Amino acid sequence: MSDQVSCHTTGAPEITAEGSPFLNGLWKQNPVFVMVLGMCPTLAITNSVRNAVSMGLATTFVMVVSYGLISMIRKLIPKQVRIATYIAILAMAVTVVDFLVKAVSIPIYLALGAYIPLIVSNCLTLERAEAYAGKQPVVKSMLDGLGMGFGFTLALTMLGAVREVLGAGTFLGVHVFSKNFEPWVLFLLPPGGFISLAMWLLFFAAWRERSAKRATERVEAQTGMAGAVEARA
Amino acid sequence: MSTLIPPPAAPQPPGWRMVRLLGTVSLICGILIVGTNLATSARIRHNQEIIMRDSVAELLPGIQKQIIYGVQASGDLKILPGLEEGGQRLFAGYDGSGRLIGIVIESNARGYADLISAMYSYSPEKQAITGFKVVDMRETPGLGDRVRSDPDFLKNFDDLDVRIVDGKPVNPVKVVKHGSKKNVWEIDAISGATISSRAVGKLIGTSVQDVLPVVRKNLERIERGE
Repeated sequence: MSDQVSCHTTGAPEITAEGSPFLNGLWKQNPVFVMVLGMCPTLAITNSVRNAVSMGLATTFVMVVSYGLISMIRKLIPKQVRIATYIAILAMAVTVVDFLVKAVSIPIYLALGAYIPLIVSNCLTLERAEAYAGKQPVVKSMLDGLGMGFGFTLALTMLGAVREVLGAGTFLGVHVFSKNFEPWVLFLLPPGGFISLAMWLLFFAAWRERSAKRATERVEAQTGMAGAVEARA
Repeated sequence: MSTLIPPPAAPQPPGWRMVRLLGTVSLICGILIVGTNLATSARIRHNQEIIMRDSVAELLPGIQKQIIYGVQASGDLKILPGLEEGGQRLFAGYDGSGRLIGIVIESNARGYADLISAMYSYSPEKQAITGFKVVDMRETPGLGDRVRSDPDFLKNFDDLDVRIVDGKPVNPVKVVKHGSKKNVWEIDAISGATISSRAVGKLIGTSVQDVLPVVRKNLERIERGE
């Protein structure tokens, strides 16, 4: 743990460089539901689907750009000053995104402006720089950033959907219930973030347990069959 | 007997190397940040002007010509040549025949997170506010930021009574609890976003008190477009 930068000790399985770095982040090591990282934006801004998608995509962009840069200079960075270097690069990428979004479209900036600075303090971005981009080649690191970013966006959108539908009775601003539906405002407030996150984590824990059980059963069935064959022989 | 052998430590890089790397990274990041800022600032300014122009056009449908006035400390108006920064600005909108349609007034107030900057249109004929638009804010997404988009909340400003008599508003603008609006000078708050709703009330209330008397005093001049 001494070399790891992590603000949560989740007991999540160790992240390896095996498999496709893109798919890894998207689902198997989903930053929110599996690694439980980046909780500040996850809880703070997921009270509507639009916000969740926007924040996810802005984070993805920052991660892809900064991981490319970090990976490019990874062999030059002495271990002792790596965190300061990563932070400087991430902060630069976030500031540049802030200016670019403002220059491209003010309406998008109005929707996103409050969250862009939050990206630099998102512990997911630093964790992946430390665990992956600081050790892996450029393309793989950028793919990891893309996968983790999309995984983050997906998770935020799933949370946002639950909170927006229950808390405001809308999905992407469109009413989904009849006029008699009284919105459950609690879901738009911070406690609603915790409750919906808990529901999703419960779902994923049950799903993981079930697939692990099935895998064990399969192995047992195979060894059982092998044993029977041996006995017959 | 075995002795514990410590794992070989990574060689300690010389101090100057670490300082050099950090310095170089900071320098490059600094250049990139300042470079992007310089490269985008003209574009950002241009975008803000477009937003301002579009907001005025949206608040005053049918506008053909506009004159921007600056309110001076003496309480007089001065025609501004362009969208100059700073000071209280009024955007007077005229139709094709040069008749005054309405006046868009800028105002801001502290919201839950940060300043809320907005514009509202005032109809001198009706002595009422006829529209409201948030230009910039940092309110809580999903809650406070509904002051910009919630159609029920924005309906408050379709015809908000702000009559001025003897340089004072007859009925000060008041924010009331969601669902309890009874009078045309009251603003129905958004449930769950009371602080932001009240901030909008304050934004309009103070502006009505400070700016509208100036507008009434100079109305004939504005109507003539001088």
